[in-house]
Amino acid sequence: MTGKKVLIVDDEIHIVHVVAIKLRNNGYEVISADNGAEAYELACKEKPDIIVTDFQMPVMTGLELVEKLRQHQETKDIPVIMLTARNFAIPKEQQEELRISDCLSKPFSPKELLGNIEDVLYQKQVMVSN
Amino acid sequence: MRLRRILYAIVTLIVASSLFVGGLAEWQSYGLLTEDSGTQEGWRYAGYVQRIPLVSVCCVVGAVGVICLGWYQLRLAGAVTSIATLLQDDKAGAIGDRKRFFAPLRMTKIDELYQAISKHFAGCTARIAKYEKQIKDLQVQIQLSQRRGKNTEAIIYSIRDAVIVIDESDRLLMANEMAGRLFNFDFNNSQHKPVSELIGPDQSEFVDFLTRRRQSKGQATRKELEFLEDGTPKTFDCIVSCVYDQGRQVCGAVAVLHDVTREKEISKMKSDFVSHVSHELKTPLASITAYAEMLADGEADDEQTRKEFYSVIQSQAQRLNRLIENILNSSRIESGLIKANKEPASLTMLIEEQLQMIKGYAEEKKVEVIGQKPIVFDQVYVDKDMIQEVIVNLLSNAVKYTPSGGSVKIEIEVDEGASLVRVSVIDTGVGIPEDEIEHVFDKFYRVGANKKQAKGTGLGLNLVKQIVEKVHDGRVFVTSQVGIGSTFGFELPLATRQGSRSVVKIVDSKRIVR
Repeated sequence: MTGKKVLIVDDEIHIVHVVAIKLRNNGYEVISADNGAEAYELACKEKPDIIVTDFQMPVMTGLELVEKLRQHQETKDIPVIMLTARNFAIPKEQQEELRISDCLSKPFSPKELLGNIEDVLYQKQVMVSN
Repeated sequence: MRLRRILYAIVTLIVASSLFVGGLAEWQSYGLLTEDSGTQEGWRYAGYVQRIPLVSVCCVVGAVGVICLGWYQLRLAGAVTSIATLLQDDKAGAIGDRKRFFAPLRMTKIDELYQAISKHFAGCTARIAKYEKQIKDLQVQIQLSQRRGKNTEAIIYSIRDAVIVIDESDRLLMANEMAGRLFNFDFNNSQHKPVSELIGPDQSEFVDFLTRRRQSKGQATRKELEFLEDGTPKTFDCIVSCVYDQGRQVCGAVAVLHDVTREKEISKMKSDFVSHVSHELKTPLASITAYAEMLADGEADDEQTRKEFYSVIQSQAQRLNRLIENILNSSRIESGLIKANKEPASLTMLIEEQLQMIKGYAEEKKVEVIGQKPIVFDQVYVDKDMIQEVIVNLLSNAVKYTPSGGSVKIEIEVDEGASLVRVSVIDTGVGIPEDEIEHVFDKFYRVGANKKQAKGTGLGLNLVKQIVEKVHDGRVFVTSQVGIGSTFGFELPLATRQGSRSVVKIVDSKRIVR
């Protein structure tokens, strides 16, 4: 998966930083945003292969970002992994409806996140090749 | 009595007979009834002759009169007998066996009748007394019943919940003021009107619920319903119970509507709080675990990166600790378990220390922070750590909600007249809507419009209020205009007012022991 572009969205700069280091160390290209609105603009412009976003953010939440991404042709197929520090999980139906590939609860392991990103990108690749 | 009546009857007969016989004898003695009554001899007593008819007539009239009197007496006695017969059933049996006409002649019975009548009247008196007592009891019961009815009405009218009572035809029987206000009708003009006519179609869900519960004749049922009260949406917990008569038949239904809007808000605030706290606690923890894992996995290539990672872990651990302290302090102050170590301190100095701490954050956000030159005497008697917590909370809030390019200014005033110091933190931030200002110091409350502006737990301002008002006998205040900015501040008594109090003050939720 070397060379794939990952958009990391979180208002916690330390989280963005650590995930970025982990991904860059594993050959990924990383771009970042600290809220949903900025992430949407960046997604339209940069067309990342996958988006890792926090759930709760100022200006535009992670869910609002995904809803907006799914409404537009250019961004509707970008896989999304959601990070959440909330005390409840996102309902399965909502995940399926918004085509959220995976949800990880904070605190999370960067290794686990990397593994999930690779799985999602692999599934996407298989689907495209089929 | 009996003998006297017999004698009276005999004497009446004798007198009447004597008068009659005397009259006839008088007439005969003057030859009026003899054969020679028409001779000269017969007329020699002319004076007597002239007197004869008068005497005879008088005698006859007298006799007739006496007989009439006797007859009247007998009739009177007969009437008394009849009355007594009617009055007393047992005597009626005895007397009824005889002919009423002759009954009075038996004078012994008159005594019995007299006794019967006396007894009857005595019985009547007793019965009247009994009836009077019963009437009084009934009057008391009526008064009690009326009082109970009025009490019930008063209670129903005094209830802050809306109460509506309908009969078996779904017509309004009773409603209190709250119900009238909620459903917009006047009870005095609405009694016995169908409830479906009184309550508008927009509240038909309630009418359906009420009438269906009455028809079902089941147990009390509750439902949460939304209504508009003075244009504001409110949530009501509606409980409908059937009303039963003495024969256990359903004769109506009563609905009690309790406004749970505030409870719902608090519940939502608590839920939001748990969610926010979870987020706030997990976020630094996520950084700590991620950086620790990276270090453990050797992902930090050089010493510089490793130091950076250690520094992040340290700062995030401190952040986590601060948050936990905030939550615990808020609970401790509320429950009266915290101890305040009070000592004289200069507010200007305390503020200056916090200004230095906040400047980094303000510069990062490109917000200008303007301090104030020291005031000569602004000594207060406070727990320094707590007041620093208050100042940092107000300053960081101001910076957090002020857009880049804005400013945060802190002012200190000494009011010697009132013997207090006033601290104001004035920002050019987003401001707070007027209807939300009164809630900003509530626990867990976050201004709806500003939730997306920045993160928070809704604990900071509540902690400020508790520290200032509960621990230091001060006062917090706020003014705000949307789009222009807000001023948050507090007042504390000057140290001179407090004299030499002991250092430790134990704060209790109900009393303060010094």
